[in-house]
Amino acid sequence: MKILVSGAGGFLGRHVVDCLLAKGHTVRAIIRPASSVPKWSGAVEILRADLRTCDKIDAAFEDIDAVMHLAAATSGNEDIQFASSVVATESFLGAMAKSAVKRLVHVSSLVVYDWARTNGVMNEDTPLLKHAYDMGGYSIAKVWQERVVLRLARAHAWDLTVMRPGFIWGNRHAEIAGMGRHIGRAYLIFGPFTRLPLSHVMNCADCLVAAVERPAAVGESFNVIDGDNIRVWRYVREYARRTGQSGLFIPLPYHFGFGLAYLASMVSRTLFGKKGKLPSLLTPRRFEAQFKPIRFSNRKLKELLAWSPPLSFDECLNDTYRTE
Amino acid sequence: MTKLTSVLIGCGAIAREHLAALAELEDVEVAAVCDLSTSRAEATAERFGIARWYSNYEEMLAHTKPDLVHITTSPAAHYPIAKNCLSTGLNVLCEKPITVDYKDFALLKQLAIQNRCMLIENQNLRFHSSIQRIQTLIASRRLGDVLEVQIFLFLNLGGPGSPYVDVNVAHPASVLRGGVIGDFLPHIAYLVHIFTGSLVDLRTIWAKHTPNSPLSADEFRGVVKGERATAIVAFSGNAKPNGFWVRVIGTQMCVETNLFEPPRLTLRRFRAGEPALMTIFDGIAEARDVFTGTIAGFWRKLAGTSSYDGLPEFIARIYRSLKMGEAQPIPLDEIDETARLVDSFTRPDLRI
Repeated sequence: MKILVSGAGGFLGRHVVDCLLAKGHTVRAIIRPASSVPKWSGAVEILRADLRTCDKIDAAFEDIDAVMHLAAATSGNEDIQFASSVVATESFLGAMAKSAVKRLVHVSSLVVYDWARTNGVMNEDTPLLKHAYDMGGYSIAKVWQERVVLRLARAHAWDLTVMRPGFIWGNRHAEIAGMGRHIGRAYLIFGPFTRLPLSHVMNCADCLVAAVERPAAVGESFNVIDGDNIRVWRYVREYARRTGQSGLFIPLPYHFGFGLAYLASMVSRTLFGKKGKLPSLLTPRRFEAQFKPIRFSNRKLKELLAWSPPLSFDECLNDTYRTE
Repeated sequence: MTKLTSVLIGCGAIAREHLAALAELEDVEVAAVCDLSTSRAEATAERFGIARWYSNYEEMLAHTKPDLVHITTSPAAHYPIAKNCLSTGLNVLCEKPITVDYKDFALLKQLAIQNRCMLIENQNLRFHSSIQRIQTLIASRRLGDVLEVQIFLFLNLGGPGSPYVDVNVAHPASVLRGGVIGDFLPHIAYLVHIFTGSLVDLRTIWAKHTPNSPLSADEFRGVVKGERATAIVAFSGNAKPNGFWVRVIGTQMCVETNLFEPPRLTLRRFRAGEPALMTIFDGIAEARDVFTGTIAGFWRKLAGTSSYDGLPEFIARIYRSLKMGEAQPIPLDEIDETARLVDSFTRPDLRI
């Protein structure tokens, strides 16, 4: 297949392109004008564009069989993230609507789920977040990005697959939000035995490519995780050992942290009403979305796509902490 | 109760500040919002409980007859939208800088007078709690005669992820004369005007401290001679930490504040007595000002008070004047003087 990949210069995008090439596909990669071109294992057609402002992207869809939409911001303030993820998606898919391409794989995130309403196991049936505005800029942007994708896909009868990865990690990206918080030299770990929805970048790329290749993925959404058997404490211990990080690692029970956040929010509401503001760590919904001790299922991936992660956790660790 | 109606064009970060201020006004209803991005307009409407959203402002204005149009777009779009609104007799509150060029402002002013419309630039810091307290000190003569005002705005433009130095997409303010610094000059200009009066003369320095920065300039200095006092102004895109310092020096007292951290205000007054002893009194008084101001500032943050101090008060006053049929809270001629001063800041012939 000839596949158009947006966000190809990003951490995940680079690996997706490599994985597509390894499986014999032809790739047209969209890279921001000032970004460097990654060293890929084969020839890639490069298209320079910033989707936030580019209104001449129509030609990108010529002779394309499928689109993998990865472009999104993972940092910056709320407006930067909204512009890079949502406004960019609007213009990018607006151009796709004018083309003959019908197949789209959209990369979303587990943050689109309502973690507060998740009981026991998070899977594809977990309710989605409806009102995201008291969450962080990333959650707002990803919720809206998925809404835009779904609406356009419905309007144009596209063959859509939505992929929602958990914490994507890998070489030079070993720090994840679920680990806890640095405060000076201390590292607070909320819920050391909480399971992490990890998706190593190479496994994640492999899974996304499986989705674009397999007809069974059309019309479906999948949570992309390698498994949920790795717990926070082990992940942090490996991180500390392999990066040589010193400091004080303080494990705190999840319910202690959540209770503290709940108490702080009650005090804030009593004193200041709805207008009161607290740091994200003391906002119960945001605390839950990072540390809630639940299980994460990838059963649908296994059953419908017959996918399992090609790399084991130990292999992922070796890749993540390799020295170049 | 008949409510006043408003619409807002441009749904970025500053728009949220306008809408939060409007949400506090019981006699105002936001009829619709508009943004070039449909999803940004819809998200803004959903967030603030606004019934309608548009991606075409002309269509929105055809469907609504607002008492006031808030223009919160990027600077280059201010002029055509404001011109269109004023031409059809609509009142306009526009974000700063109201236009990219002074001549465009002059045309808008003429149009506003001709059609008896309100044309007002967002000069929220005039209503900033600390600026209001300084003005009270001046009005009560406790500060004495104002001799000089020093305004130093430090904002790290080149930090990680800064939109000002995004090499992929130029910042919307980069079209301004003075580049992105031009986005902050109106604040400096109207504060200078408040304390020094009309412009008599000025000289400026524009420089680039960071050689590989995509910005045309990241440092600005100015010396202003006003009709009542003088001013030294500075913008630094490199200095740390960020701060918006205003120091007003009078014949009886010197007062200093950081507008980013209200309500902290430090007063230094003349004290008769043994100098060594007075130094201790001064130190204790200053420590008290800093301590109480810092605690109050922290409390304000927890209370969710807008970081755009003065904007809620400013917007409330605009609607009050519309309701009562009174003159706009900042006279058009004063906005004109601000626009002229901004224009002068960027004039090549006034650079040292």
